[in-house]
Amino acid sequence: METTAAVRVTGLRQRYGDFEAVAGISFEVRRGELFALLGTNGAGKTTTLETLEGFRPAGDGTVRVFGHDPYRERREVRPRMGIMLQEGGFFGDLTVAETVRHWSGFVPGARTADETLGLVGLRDKADVRIRQLSGGQKRRLDLGVALLGRPEVLFLDEPTTGMDPEARHAIWAVVRDLVADGTTVLLTTHYLEEAERLADRLAIMNYGRIAVAGTVAEVIAGQGDSISFRVPPEVTVAELPAFGGTAAGVEIDGGHPTAVYAVPRHGLQAALGELLGWAERRRLRLDGLQARSASLEDVFLRTVEGDPR
Amino acid sequence: MRITYAARMARLDLSLLWRNRTGLFSAVGMPLLFGALLLPARGEVRDGVESGLFAGTGYLAFFLIFAVFTNLVAVLTTRREDLSLKRLRAGALGDTEILGGSVLLAGGLYLAQIGLLVLFMSTVLGGRLPANPLLLVVGLLFGIAVFALLAAGVSGITPNADMAQLTSMPILMVCLVGSGVMVPLDGLPEWVRTVAELLPLSPLVEIVRTAYFGLDFTVAGAHAPVGFLAAWAACGEAFAIFGLWALAGWWASRRWFRWEPRHG
Ligand SMILES: Nc1ncnc2c1ncn2[C@@H]1O[C@H](COP(=O)(O)OP(=O)(O)O)[C@@H](O)[C@H]1O
Ligand SMILES: [Mg+2]
Repeated sequence: METTAAVRVTGLRQRYGDFEAVAGISFEVRRGELFALLGTNGAGKTTTLETLEGFRPAGDGTVRVFGHDPYRERREVRPRMGIMLQEGGFFGDLTVAETVRHWSGFVPGARTADETLGLVGLRDKADVRIRQLSGGQKRRLDLGVALLGRPEVLFLDEPTTGMDPEARHAIWAVVRDLVADGTTVLLTTHYLEEAERLADRLAIMNYGRIAVAGTVAEVIAGQGDSISFRVPPEVTVAELPAFGGTAAGVEIDGGHPTAVYAVPRHGLQAALGELLGWAERRRLRLDGLQARSASLEDVFLRTVEGDPR
Repeated sequence: MRITYAARMARLDLSLLWRNRTGLFSAVGMPLLFGALLLPARGEVRDGVESGLFAGTGYLAFFLIFAVFTNLVAVLTTRREDLSLKRLRAGALGDTEILGGSVLLAGGLYLAQIGLLVLFMSTVLGGRLPANPLLLVVGLLFGIAVFALLAAGVSGITPNADMAQLTSMPILMVCLVGSGVMVPLDGLPEWVRTVAELLPLSPLVEIVRTAYFGLDFTVAGAHAPVGFLAAWAACGEAFAIFGLWALAGWWASRRWFRWEPRHG
C-alpha cells in the first residue's frame, strides 16, 4: 500500500560546487492536489524539480515519489511521471505531429498523436516544423508530450512563461481538467496569478529555502490588512491618530502624502470604525480611502525582499 | 536495455538524418568518393594482394571512424548542448536505450556502407567475397562498440558542436596514419610497428583483411593462407587489444560523458 503523499521532500539540499542552490527544504504534495512552488529566478525551483524527476541524486535529505527514490529507482517511477522541463530541447527539423509520434513510441500505452494535439490545442499546427513555432506553442507541445503516457504525477517547470494571456488561460484549463481527473501536479511559476488560480497549496521559495507554505488563504492570513487614504490638507502628519493599535505610516503617492495603516489580523472592521468616527468628528473628507486584505503579492514581495542568506 | 525502445530511438535518429542534408551526404557520399579513389589503383600489387583491394579493405575499417566515431561525437555534443539529450531523458526511455538507439543507427549505416563497398570490390575491382564473413562481422561489431564508447567519452570533453571536428581529429589522424589503412607498416622499425598495433583501429584493420582475403594479415611479411579456425586464432591478439580499448572507452565515457551542458 502506498502512502497518500505523491511527493515527499525532507530536508533536501543541493549544491553546485560551493554554491548551495537548495538549502534544506521539506514539503509534501498529496495525491490529486496541485502544489505550486513560487519564487523568483534563481530561487532553486528547477533544481528541486529536477531532483524529484530523478535527473540527479539528492545532495542531502531525501526525496520520494510514490515512495520511491526517483534517482535510484528511475525505471519504476518514470513511467508514472509526466515531465515538462523549463526549456524545450525538441528537434527543430521535425514537425509537431512527427515529434508526438516519435515520442509516443517511447512510452508504453501512450495516447494517440491526434488526441494529444487536441488536448493542447495544436491540431492545426500538426504539420509545422518545430523551429517555426512560437514560444507559447512550443510550451504547449511540451505539455502534450508530458501527457502522452497519462502520468499520475505531472511536473511542470514554468509551464506558461512566455505565453500570451489567451494561451496561458488555455493551459490553465487543461491543467485544471487534469487535476479534476485525479492527476497530481507540482508546478513552478513566478506568476502569482497562476499559483493563486490553480494551486491547492503553495510554497514560496527564496534563496533555496521555503519561506512560507500552505493554502493561499493560510499564506495570506497572518499578513494583516491595510487601510490607506490621502492625508487631508487640514491635518498635519503629526496629528494622524492611531487606529486599531497601529500608528500611521506616511507614503508619498502621486505627489500626495498618503496615510497607510497596517492593521493586525481581524482588526480591519474595528479600525475602520474608529477611522470613520474620527473623520466625522473633524468633518474631514478622506480622498482615496482604501481598505484591503493582504494579497499573495504582498506576501510574495515581502518574502523576496528578505535578506539573502 | 529494451531493444524495441532502442530501435525506436534509432528510427527517430533516421528521421533526423533524413532531414539533415550534410549528415546524409557524409553517410552516403563518403563511401562513393572513397570507392572512386580505388579505381586508379587497379592492377598494382601491394603487400601481396592487389593494391585496390588492399586499400579497399583498409577503407572498410576506416569508414568506422566517420560513420560511428566522428558522427557520434558530433551528434552527442550537439544534442547535449541544444538540450535534446536532456529532453529525451525526461521521457520513459532508459539511458542505454537513448544512447544505444543512436549507436544502432550509426552502426547500421556503417554496416550498410561496408556492404556496398564489399560489393564494389568484388565486382568492379574484380576482388573476391569475404573469405570469413563471420569473422568480418564480429570484428565490425567489436569496432562499433569500441568507437561508440570512445565517442561518448570524447563528446564529454567537446565544449560545443563546432569543436567536435577538432576534438575527434587526434584519434582520426592517428588511426588513418598508424593503423595501416593506406600503406602497410612493414617497412617501419619494430617498436613503431608495436605501437601502431596498439592503436584502437589497428585490430579492425587486421581482422578485416584477414577475414576478407583469407590470409593472415596479423603478421608482417608474407601472409600465409588461413582456414576458418586458424583465422580466428590469428586474430586473438587483435580481439584482446579491442577488449582493452573497450575498457578504456567505457572508462572515458563514465568519466567524461555528460547529459547536460555545463552551467553558465
Ligand atoms: N548546473 C548548475 N551549475 C551551477 N549553478 C547552477 C546550476 N543550475 C542552477 N544553478 C544555480 O542555482 C541557483 C538555483 O537555480 P534554479 O534551480 O534553476 O532556480 P529557479 O528555477 O528557481 O530559477 C541559481 O543561482 C542558478 O544560477
Ligand atoms: Mg527555473
